[in-house]
Amino acid sequence: MSEIYMCLNPTGNQEPVELFPLAPRLDTLDGKTIHLSICGEADIWVPLEKKLKSDYPNVNWTVKKRYHIVPWEVTEEERKTTDAVILGVCW
Amino acid sequence: MPYLTDLEASGIPTVLVVFNEEMEKVKHDAVIHGVPKLRFVVASRNSLGGVSEAHKILEPVLDALTRPLAPEEKEKGTWAPKQPRILFEGTLMEAEKFYKQTINIPRLLGAPFSKYTDGLPVVIPTEERVAAMLKGTSHKPDEIIRLQRDMVIRGGPTAAVEKPIVRKKGDVIEFMPMYRTATVEQVAVNAVMAGCEPEYFPVVLAMAESGGGTGDGRGGGGAFLVSGPIYKEIGMNVTNFIWGPGNPVNKTLGRVGSLMWRNLGGYEETISTIITLGNPVTNGGFIFAEYAEGLPNGWLGLNEELGFKKDESVLMPLGMMGGWGIGQQHAPGVYRSLQRTGHGAMARFLGVKGIPGPHNYLVYLIKDIWATMEGGFTLVLPPQIAQDLYDYGFKTKQSIYEWIWKQSFEPVGRFRMRGSQDYLTNGWLGIEKTSGKPWRELPDDYMVPAGGDDPFDDYNIVVINMEETAPARFSGGHSPAFSIDAWR
Repeated sequence: MSEIYMCLNPTGNQEPVELFPLAPRLDTLDGKTIHLSICGEADIWVPLEKKLKSDYPNVNWTVKKRYHIVPWEVTEEERKTTDAVILGVCW
Repeated sequence: MPYLTDLEASGIPTVLVVFNEEMEKVKHDAVIHGVPKLRFVVASRNSLGGVSEAHKILEPVLDALTRPLAPEEKEKGTWAPKQPRILFEGTLMEAEKFYKQTINIPRLLGAPFSKYTDGLPVVIPTEERVAAMLKGTSHKPDEIIRLQRDMVIRGGPTAAVEKPIVRKKGDVIEFMPMYRTATVEQVAVNAVMAGCEPEYFPVVLAMAESGGGTGDGRGGGGAFLVSGPIYKEIGMNVTNFIWGPGNPVNKTLGRVGSLMWRNLGGYEETISTIITLGNPVTNGGFIFAEYAEGLPNGWLGLNEELGFKKDESVLMPLGMMGGWGIGQQHAPGVYRSLQRTGHGAMARFLGVKGIPGPHNYLVYLIKDIWATMEGGFTLVLPPQIAQDLYDYGFKTKQSIYEWIWKQSFEPVGRFRMRGSQDYLTNGWLGIEKTSGKPWRELPDDYMVPAGGDDPFDDYNIVVINMEETAPARFSGGHSPAFSIDAWR
């Protein structure tokens, strides 16, 4: 009979992750401050930003743009007045 | 993704716009960062001008911010995958079959993807073999891999817009793309699987300390350079065909990076990471060692250049290999003719026909080299070429780095046409490093380097043992080194 071996696991340690629910959604867009967090490829954002602003003039749109793949974040102070964030195309 | 997690956790609703091929990775990252039901909208990367795509995704984007949450989107919990120390129990034949398992990744169109390996068969990591590997270090099996000294990370592809990263001794090393940690024993398991011997293990542990070839998740198993006496102790080949098969030390040490990426980091193509084509240079593992005995008098070895002593053994991760090509650039004989008698094509090119050397061969080597490429590179030189450069007047390696870098200067107007700079300068909003002035204030005729930000960070010279006069080059310069001796 062949010998039996204990063989070890090569994978790393995955620390447990606490899972959060999503934040409550907006009941309306009107009067809200929605932040556009633009990063990565700009092509899709140019027309998207233009159309959002023209089709939804009652929204207070704020914008931070970056060519880099990591976005500029809203500051703690800005968060106090930000109702929602649209981020793309990197994350 | 941690940014989005934080926003959602603090009560700010978000939506992410992503490209189609990144959808599975978004789902994957959403779990790792604690918001498994993160809302996202998929766009096409290739729609012309982006206009039709922008119009198509506008309503879904706003819907994601306003549609009331479904019950499953309100759930809390914990994600804690099981990771037993003993993965398999059985005969060696059975174990070979077990470790050969593959998974099905739909985006790979049915091509199998190895569950525990780099695609090749492995040495089965039995408890006995792993215990033998652990004798190659004084560190305990349950020790978590941590940084062994303070260091500052400079350079890299985003150097133009990012500040240097300061890392502290004792920082836990995370293996990407899944932000995992690892023990010395888990690294030993991968070293056994790659075919390494216990005496190589300090090198493997230094590789692990550097991130194990996992990079930011797209590390590809990495590429590494060894400097110091350990190359001789363990038998790394530093002579002819250093990147070819035959030497078990270079081959297995190179391979272990791929296994650490797969296993410690959790790399799964298109799920946990998305690579474009990969790199034919590092495929299967890439490591080689410096032959410091071949340096001209006065030239420092890599270990000394990086702040270590001559008798200390260190490991330096290499950057994105292959961007400058790799391998021989010209017939070796034409180089010898240039330096010995002043004959041949290179002598005609340099205008020194009939005049014996030493001549500055670098003039030939860098001609038009930055035409459509930016940044610096590593030169791998045989001792004779290094000595010729020394005899010509380059008494230090640093003098070569600076000379090459200075040749790369060009007008801003030309530099603005380069393919990576919109990204690297953040749309020309950043600061030009040599002047300290904003890019947008510089006139078109202002001279800036196409060859990287810094001569030392962006260039490197490595001497190997070979009589033939054939140099090679590849991307990248110096980066912080990791002590191999710290892991003995």
